[in-house]
This record gives sequence, structure tokens and C-alpha cells, in this order.
Amino acid sequence: MTALVRELRFALSERAVQLIVLIAFAASTAAVIAGIEAVNDQQALIDRLVLATDEERAVAVESASDPGDMAYYAFHLTFAPPSALAFSALGTRDTLPWKHRLRMLALEGQLYESDVGNPELSLSGRLDFAFVVAVLLPLLLIFLLHDGEAGERRAARHDLLRVTATEGRNLFTVRAIARSLLLLAAILIPFLVGAVIQGVGLPGIGVVLGAAALSLVFWLAVCLLTVRRVDAGPTCAISLLGIWLVLAVLLPAGGKLAARNVVEVPQGGELLLTQREAVNDAWDLPKPATMDPFIERHPRWAPYSTVSRPFEWKWYFAFQQVGDQAVEKISTELREGIKQRDRLMGMLSFLSPPLLTERLMTGAAQTDVAAFQRYEDCVRAFHGGLRSYYYPLLFEERPFDDSAKRELPKFSPCAQDSGR
Amino acid sequence: MSQQQVLEAQSLTVQRGGRPVLHDVSFAVGEGEVFALLGGNGAGKSTTLLTFLGLIEPHQGRAMAFGQDVQGNEDAIRRKAAYLPETASLYAHLNAWENVSYFLELARSPRPRDELSQAFDEVGLPADARDRRLESYSKGMRQKVAIALALLRSVPLLLLDEPTSGLDPVAIDEFNALITALAERGSTVMMVTHDVYGACQVARRVGLLRRGELVGTFEAPPEGMIDADELHRAFARSHAS
Ligand SMILES: Nc1ncnc2c1ncn2[C@@H]1O[C@H](COP(=O)(O)OP(=O)(O)OP(=O)(O)O)[C@@H](O)[C@H]1O
Ligand SMILES: [Mg+2]
Repeated sequence: MTALVRELRFALSERAVQLIVLIAFAASTAAVIAGIEAVNDQQALIDRLVLATDEERAVAVESASDPGDMAYYAFHLTFAPPSALAFSALGTRDTLPWKHRLRMLALEGQLYESDVGNPELSLSGRLDFAFVVAVLLPLLLIFLLHDGEAGERRAARHDLLRVTATEGRNLFTVRAIARSLLLLAAILIPFLVGAVIQGVGLPGIGVVLGAAALSLVFWLAVCLLTVRRVDAGPTCAISLLGIWLVLAVLLPAGGKLAARNVVEVPQGGELLLTQREAVNDAWDLPKPATMDPFIERHPRWAPYSTVSRPFEWKWYFAFQQVGDQAVEKISTELREGIKQRDRLMGMLSFLSPPLLTERLMTGAAQTDVAAFQRYEDCVRAFHGGLRSYYYPLLFEERPFDDSAKRELPKFSPCAQDSGR
Repeated sequence: MSQQQVLEAQSLTVQRGGRPVLHDVSFAVGEGEVFALLGGNGAGKSTTLLTFLGLIEPHQGRAMAFGQDVQGNEDAIRRKAAYLPETASLYAHLNAWENVSYFLELARSPRPRDELSQAFDEVGLPADARDRRLESYSKGMRQKVAIALALLRSVPLLLLDEPTSGLDPVAIDEFNALITALAERGSTVMMVTHDVYGACQVARRVGLLRRGELVGTFEAPPEGMIDADELHRAFARSHAS
């Protein structure tokens, strides 16, 4: 312990250490600020949109004279609010949708409307705190540690240090630990401040600290083993940079590419197009062409399925649902594909500690693929609720009065999505 | 000899980089004795010191210190020995106080500031230099800090590699006086040097090393010093052959 305190003080006297620790602190602070800003922007946008959509819906509901009108004109905002920890790992909140403006129309098309640009393509290389911990921390640690022993040898101090220090050659291990701790502190302090500001609970903080410690311990071990094996500082640095490049850059990026090639996933745009065609075609088809497949799936409405007029809302919404049925396969493939790719990345993460760190952190922050799919499920459930609400009004032609209007479901985020 | 042997080389043979560097070297240094190993560049002087510190393993023979084989007892021996390396290489970004304090902490034998101050006085390090970083020091000033450090360790054995290199004549005289005083108080000193006259000033016994072999030992008469001229001739002869 005294040795560690001594080496902490000594490390802080070195200009190179001061500089690296400062860089780490600055990068971490920037990442935390950027993360909090991004999350606050998202929350503010949600608040604004909820308000606007609520007002707009109130007007639509008020002026609706029949349930079909209301179903067509009343929009709902669905959203997954950012968790308290989301600022630390933006994850899928940066690349995948977390809010939708929905109505009773075919759901799948509305879900993937915002997906047409295929945001999956963008690498998650954004400077958030998870990136600092997973990618930057090892890099800075390499700068801190690669020359620890070799530098002393070059300065002809190695022998004197070895024979003077009571811990002998372990001195260099103690030094490496001291420097690592300084780096870890520089990176964690801004996070802890951010966590307090965002009101993160202790378990959340614990997971992030654990992930950071895991990353640190792994890279400390790699550095120590390499430094023991390679005598010259520059050679050591190049070896370590090579390991970093493979584990922190090539494996995750290559894995992403490989997962994309191995697991075929239909594009959101493809789904959108298929659904649009199905829905548009329905206008020109004889009514039974829509009502039959609808009734097949929803026999409950069979007694009310006769459409006698050229346009009836129940027929209109039935073909919206048939439109969803038409893309069911694509939608399942898409969801399963994304899940499968994510599972592959999960397996790969056991080969790449930076990837594992990032996944742990996005998992804790509920910004991983699983959280994204939970939100989608939540939206599907809400949309299902809308149908359950409207269908009796549309098909059974139940009385459409103010009390019926008041029953209109209102979206609220699903339990796991309401982190704050 | 009734004196206890502090250092003993027993048929020491050492290889470095696959080449023989010391060959069948034997000598002993008693408690309170000042022994100098004299030899030309590359003779194996530094190697001998490093072997006694357990930093180099002998190929054959044994290096003994305090009656123990150095091999296997490195830690115990290093705790009782202060080492002055060939190139005094303390930390350039620290001042004299900080350097010495840090190394003393490494050895877990911190000393109060007034003892540090006293040691700096003894080696003649100017008071106004002590608060400056070592990067602004001359070679001799750095050497003085390193010597002060070795003294402050307060251990029974000093292993000094060319301790007077870089020192001016006055500083050398002061250093010699210091070593003599230390030996009188019971410290054992082994220094390696190529300075014939310096060796004669302090050492009661001088070993002459030539290309890894101990080719002669010179002892001071009871009430005098080793004859420097004679030693010089022997040194020159050993080099010529
Ligand atoms: N690290 C090393 N690896 C291989 N050989 C070495 C190493 N260091 C020294 N040697 C060789 O060992 C021999 C003795 O070197 P040593 O440093 O002991 O000489 P020295 O007597 O101290 O010389 P000098 O007066 O120049 O300091 C030399 O031939 C040298 O080439
Ligand atoms: Mg030498």
C-alpha cells in the first residue's frame, strides 16, 4: 500500500503522465457532456412531440364524428425515454429510432419509415463515454505503460531501481498499477459527476464502474505481459498498438461486416415498399379480396364483415391490417435477423474486450439492440391496443359518444423503457 | 585473517552475450575494508559489481556476500548494500531532495531532511542547487547526489562503480576522505575504477583486472599507502601484454 501511494505520487510528478491523465480527463468530460446533451435533447424532443401530438389528437378526437375519422386523424407519439444511464452509452439511440408518430394505419410501414436510410450501416464510433472506456482507455494506457521498464533501462536506471527497491522488479508492476489507477480515476470522475447529475442509481453506477475496471484490468495485463516480453520501448509500443488495433478496431468492425454478410436481413425500405403495394392494391381489388384474409385471421369480426358501400372505414382499416399481414414474414425476418446479428456480435465480444465493455455498458444503459427491440414490441403492443379499441367501434358499430372517445388508449412507455 | 569476509569471489566465471567476461576470479573483502578493483575499459569491473548484486548470474564459481551465496539471497544482500551505478542516472525532472527521498523510500529507509542536508554537505553539493531539478546539473553535481544517496542508505556495504568520475580534484579529495571515514566506522567498500592514483588514495588493497582475469593484488603497508607509481607501471604492463 505504501509502495502504491509512493508510486502514485511519483507518477504524478512525471510530465508525460500528467499529460495523458489530462487528456483522459478532457476526453471523458467531453464525452459525458456530449452524452448528457444528446440525452437531454432527446428527452426535450420527446416532451415537445408528446405535447404537440396530444394537442393535435385532442382536436382530432373532438371533431371526429365517427370512429373511422378518429382512427385516421388521431396520431399518437410512441417513444422510449432515455434511461438515466443513456448518456454514458448512446448505443442504438444514436442509430435506431426511439420515437414514432403513429396512427391506426398499417403498423409495420410506420415503424420502419424512419429506417429507410438504413442507419445500421453507421458504425458506432461516436464519442460517448462507452467509447472512451472501451477504445480510448486502452490506447492511453498503452501510452502510459509501454515504456515503463524500457525507459528506465535506456536511462541506465534499471539496475539501480531493481537493487534499491525492496520489491525488486515488482516495482515496475506497482508503477503500472499506479499509473492505471490515475488513468481510471481521470476517466471515471467526469462519469460520476454526470451520473449524479442524471440521477443514476447505485446499481447502474456499479455496472459502469465494473465495465471500466474490467477493461482496465484486461489491458493492464496485456501491457504487463508485453512489457515483460519485449525489451525495447518502441517495439513494445508497436506490439501493443497492434493488439489494440485488432481487438478494439478490426474485430468489432470486421465482426459487424461479417455478421451482415452471414445473416441476411431485409431492408426496412423493402418492407415499406411491399406494404405500400399491398395497401394500394387493395383499393382496386374486390372487397372480399381484403375481407377474406382479414376474417381468416380475425374470425371474431366475421358476422360484421359485409362491406356494401364503396367506402367503409372497417374495410379501410381491415386492409391496413392485411397490409401488416402481407409483410409479416419480412418483418419477422428483419427482427430475427437483427437479433441474430446481435447474438453473433455478443459471441464475438468474448474475443474482443473492448466490444464486451461496450456491450455491457449499452446493456446497462438500455441502449442496446435488445432495448431497441423491447421498444418495438412495446409499440406493437400499443398499436394492438388501438386495434382492440377501434374494431368494436368500427365493426359492431358500438355507440360512438364522448365516453367511448375517452376510452382511447394513451401511450405510455413500457416498464423497462422508463429508466428515469 | 580474523576479519569476517563481507565479499568473496570464488573462482568467479561470468559470461555476457555468450562471451566470457570474467574468468576464474577469486578475491575477498573483509569488514571495514576499502577494496578497489582496477582495470581498463571492458576488463569486467562493472560486471563484477553486478554479479555481487545478483543482477548477473555466474557461469561458474560463486559470488558470496555476508557469508551467503548471492544467488538465491539477492533480496537479503541488496538490503544491506548500496550501489552507485557507473552513470549516475537519477531523475532529471526531480530536484536533489526529491530524488534522494524517492530512492530512500524505494529502499524503505526514509531519512529526515536534516540528514539529507548533511549528506549533501558532505559530498559538497551547493545548497542553492538542491532545489533545482537535476536536468540543470552538471555531470559532477549529479554524481554527488548519487553518492549522497549511497551514503544515506546507511548500509554496511557500498558497491561503487567509478565513484569519482566527473568529480573535480577538490571533490575527489573530499570523497576519499569520506570513504576513509566510513571504513573506519566499519563500512565495507568495494569500488571499481580506472583511476590508479585515486585507488591508491583510499584503498588498502587493489586488485588488478585484465580482460576478465585478476592478474595481481596490491596491498598497502601497515602505516602507508600503496605506491601509485608501482601500481601504474603494473597497470601499463598488464595492458601492453
Ligand atoms: N549487456 C552486455 N551484454 C553483453 N556483453 C556485455 C554487456 N555489458 C558489458 N559486456 C561486455 O562485458 C565485458 C566487461 O564489461 P564491463 O562493463 O564489466 O567492463 P568494465 O571493466 O566495467 O569497463 P569500463 O571501464 O569501460 O566501465 C566487455 O567486454 C563488454 O563488452
Ligand atoms: Mg564499467
